[in-house]
Amino acid sequence: MVLYFKHAHSYKHDFPTVSLAYFNRYPNPYSTHVKSTDTVEHFIDEEGRLHQTKIVMKTGRLPQFIKPFLGKISTSWIVEKSIVDPVNQTMQTYNCNLDHRKIVRIEEYATYKFNKKDNCTECQTTVKFSSGFRNTLNLRDRIENWSKNKFDENMSRSTLGLKIVMDNVRERLSRLK
Amino acid sequence: MGNLMSTSFAPECTPLKQKYDGCFNEWYSEKFLKGKSTTNECEDLWYEYQECVRKHMTEQKLDKMLDDARKEAPFENGGALINPDDEKNKKK
Repeated sequence: MVLYFKHAHSYKHDFPTVSLAYFNRYPNPYSTHVKSTDTVEHFIDEEGRLHQTKIVMKTGRLPQFIKPFLGKISTSWIVEKSIVDPVNQTMQTYNCNLDHRKIVRIEEYATYKFNKKDNCTECQTTVKFSSGFRNTLNLRDRIENWSKNKFDENMSRSTLGLKIVMDNVRERLSRLK
Repeated sequence: MGNLMSTSFAPECTPLKQKYDGCFNEWYSEKFLKGKSTTNECEDLWYEYQECVRKHMTEQKLDKMLDDARKEAPFENGGALINPDDEKNKKK
């Protein structure tokens, strides 16, 4: 079973604020489970778009019924890719867990696009949950449903965290002007 | 942002990372987005930071994990990131 989850949000900020906040979204009061972020790759392609790859370490919040399979593992790693097109004021992002992938793979894809008319940045997110587990005892379904419910909760928290960082970034950018 | 900056997974690399991030933020908002620069002007700081990060990534086998994940399911297709929406549509 594969689950898809969609989320749309409009941030009342311009593109420079939203994208800069995205790159600096940790730490924020809603992200205490995020322990570190590192950029491991960056380049500008022929079309002038900026590509970055980051790795993020989080402390795991896995369900009780998973613990027998993982033992004492309590951290997980996420890869985050982003592409910024400065001319069209768009950003694409991709996040995926790097470990525990046999249990569940969570892929988040988002596009951020500046809307000139309404002076806001619109974000469309699609998340794909998939598990390689056989569906013994409905374990796979349980993992996927747990992940999706957890994600709903995390999504609103990460939106709140991002908004706080955006306010700080806007302040900082306006001081520079 | 500003006073707060995230740390590196390797504590030793955190000062180098934060120096690079500071430079990157400035370059990104003041030059790159304004079309004034098409090369990352923080290269010196980048190399110092990467030297440190790479060392620890190898020690903790993170580079292998990243490579394996990429092989198993590539993140990008040409210049675009793979969108689960497109994948889903393809299957239909």
